[in-house]
Order: sequence, then C-alpha cells, then structure tokens
Amino acid sequence: MFARRFFISFPIFAFIYILQESVVSQFKIFGGGFSLFLIFALLWSALGTPEMGALTGFGAGLMMDLSQSTSGPMGQWTLIMILAGFTISYLGYGDDNFRGNPISLIFTIAAGVVIIRLIYLILGLLLGSDVGSTWSVIISLFSSAFWSAVLSPLLLPAVTRVHEALFDVKSGK
Amino acid sequence: MRSGGDNRGRLLLISLIVTALLLITLDLRGVQVITGLRNGTQSALSPFQSVAATIFRPVGNFLSDVTQLGRTRGEIERLKAENEKLRRTLIDRKNADADLAQLKSVLDLAGTAKYKVVNAKVISLGSASSFTQTITIDAGTNNGVRQNMTVITGLGLVGVVKIAYPNSALVQLVTDPAFKVGARVAGSQQIGILSGQGTNKAVLQLLDNQTTLKVGDVILARGSVNNRPFVPGVPLGQVTAVDNAAGAVTQTADVKLYVKFSALSVVAVVVAAPKDDPRDALVPKAPLPKPVPTVTIYAQPSETPTP
Repeated sequence: MFARRFFISFPIFAFIYILQESVVSQFKIFGGGFSLFLIFALLWSALGTPEMGALTGFGAGLMMDLSQSTSGPMGQWTLIMILAGFTISYLGYGDDNFRGNPISLIFTIAAGVVIIRLIYLILGLLLGSDVGSTWSVIISLFSSAFWSAVLSPLLLPAVTRVHEALFDVKSGK
Repeated sequence: MRSGGDNRGRLLLISLIVTALLLITLDLRGVQVITGLRNGTQSALSPFQSVAATIFRPVGNFLSDVTQLGRTRGEIERLKAENEKLRRTLIDRKNADADLAQLKSVLDLAGTAKYKVVNAKVISLGSASSFTQTITIDAGTNNGVRQNMTVITGLGLVGVVKIAYPNSALVQLVTDPAFKVGARVAGSQQIGILSGQGTNKAVLQLLDNQTTLKVGDVILARGSVNNRPFVPGVPLGQVTAVDNAAGAVTQTADVKLYVKFSALSVVAVVVAAPKDDPRDALVPKAPLPKPVPTVTIYAQPSETPTP
C-alpha cells in the first residue's frame, strides 16, 4: 500500500518541485520568499498515517536535497523531512479535533516550517556550514512563518481534495 | 493521538532514517554518484528555469519594485501618467534596456581590465529554504564556464562559480555568509579579508594592525593564484563605517557592496584574465559634482549723479 501511495504521489510532488525551482525562485520577495514545496509536503504528510508521513517526508527531503541551491550534504533534508513528516502526521493521527480544525493544522504547518528550518540550520552548523548574521537568520525564519501562515490556508482546500480524490478516504478519518 | 506504531511502521521509519544517514555519509565522503544525481537534476531543471525566467521575471521585478516602493515612488508617479499600452511597451523596453545597460557596463569593466568573459543571464535566484545566497546563470561548461571562476557585473564582483553544469552554473554570491575574498584598499594597498553577511553589506577585516581605514575607501579584490577563484582588481564596495574598538587586534569595517543583488539580470564570468594586475584601474569614478548656477550682477555707477 505504501509503495502504491508513494508512486501515486510522486508526479504531484515532481510538479510542485518544478514549480518551486523554476517559478517561485524567480520572485525576490520579503525575507527571501517561501518554500511552496516544503509547505505542500507538510500538508500532504499531515493528511496521512505516520508511516505514510515518514515516507512522504523521505521523498520530499530527497527532492529538496537534489536542489542545486541546497548547501548541505545530500541526505540532510531527507533526514529532517522524514522526522518532520512522521511527527506532523503522528500529532494528528486519529485526532479529529486536530484535523477537523483547519486553524490548528495551519498553525502546526507554520510552526513546523520554522522548526524544520531551525533544525536544518543547527544540523548545518554541526556539519560545518556558515549561516550568516543572526539578524538575517531571524528575518528569514520570521518570514518563513509569515509566508507559511499566508499560503497554508490557500493550499489546504486543494491539497485536501486531491488527497481525498487519490486515496479515496476522508482525510483524518 | 495514536499510542504507538506497529512493528512494520517502526521498521519503515528506521529504514528511512538509516537511508538518510547513509546518504549523508556517502556525500561527506565525496561519492561521485551523489554529485551526479544533483548534476542530473539541475540539467533536467535548467530548461524549465529558462522558460520560467522569460515568463515570470517581469512579474518578479514588479514584486521587487513593490517591496522598494518608497525608493521608486517618483518613477511610479511618472509611469502613472502614461496610458496602459504605453506602460506595457515601456516595461518591455525597460527590461531590454536594463539588460543592455548591464551588458554594456560589464563589457566596459571587462574591457578595461582585459578580462576574457562569457556573458550570461540570471535564470534563477537561490533557494528560500536554505540559508545560502546563490543565483543560477544560463552559461555552463559548454560555454567554457568552470568551477571557481569569478563572476562580475559592470559594478563589480557578483560572486564565484560554485558548480558548473553543462548549460548552467550555480554562483555563490558575495553576500553569502560563507563567502570570503581577499581584498585590498585602492590606493593604500592595505590587505584584508572581506566576508559576506547575508545582506548588502559585508565586513572587511584588515590583516595588519598598523594600518588604518577610513570611510569612503574603495575595496578591490586582491586576486588568487592563477586567477581562480578571484581575478585581481575587481571592485567590491566602499567603506561605510569603521570599527575602532580599542581592544580589537586589527581594524574591521562595514563595506557597502557596489553590486545591486536585487536587480541582477546579466552577469559575466571571467574565463581568462591578463597576466598583468589591473591595479586600481577599475576603481569606480566618483560622481561629478552638479554645477550650481551662479548669477553675477554687475553694478555700474552712473557718471553723472542724478539730482
């Protein structure tokens, strides 16, 4: 079942990935912009089981690692996204109060994006990467929270519908 | 919340984590397959990026202008007066003119220093999720671009080629926090190290504690052995503030970089440099003072006094 779901999800992730790398990266906006792919991957993970969330995180992280602008070693995003995907779906699995309430989901995604980037930063520091001035890091994290909070409500209905249509189950049930 | 996963789930999670750790280990050990995967992905993505750059760059420029509304208010007011058709034509024309001006300016700089350059268009800005500052250009190994080549515009140093793909290249910008370049002060020839800070300002640290800096000093690249990664003499920026802390071993200064990184569209990769160091030949000329109109009144007394 995992393999089937994984391969069904792959074209959608590939499309969002190309969109992120080709189109979103053209815009220079406040705080360095946003990662549509990261927000989408977290929303997708949140709608599945913890195992599927981890597998989604694995695939998404692998694609993020393949991005030419990723500074860390191959596998750094993969590791973080496996744990992020698992955690975010584990948080809401079987909890209708969590998944039935879009506000809590959006808040979790916005906080999740910031935490994930912070972990990436810390892991990068441990692996010897430079991160720049504290001010630019703070601005970057703040803006990613802002953009995630803005974009998640816009993406959530579409992602939920596509997820339901593909897997023929009510998300969160 | 779920009380716990089944064994299959745990096994899957552990397998995925082990795979990720294996990938990190392989990459840190420099296994070529991993590098090949990234190169392959970039080669596959570069046509999409080129098309997207053509279609969406005007929109991106518009958004960039919106974020700098205060500075461009005058220009916006002027454009408001024109009709819709003329405005559209003007935007298209402005895009082409800006590219042309940047190209002319970079060729002027390269010509003065006798650099052999390959011109390239910026097709993508860096990732929003990583803390790096990079751009992707549409020239790669097929055009003679190699790793560790200097990238410039007409205003000065843009960065250095980090990875060269067949038809594109990833350029690490001077503003990247990990970026460091040997620098010297034009005129006094004091040397130091300029480090990116993630913003349009960089920090210069002098190597000699006997020398001093002053606001307005022009900073140039010092150059590397065999001109890679840096050719000598490329303008970097101008000192805007000097840190004269009593306890500091050497002097440090804030440097405002010449290049406008928010408006990069055309750059040049220096593929060969002359044997002679251009020294201070590339120091930007100071703006000429605007002449103030003066009015001279000649008073001539009349020969015969009037009653």
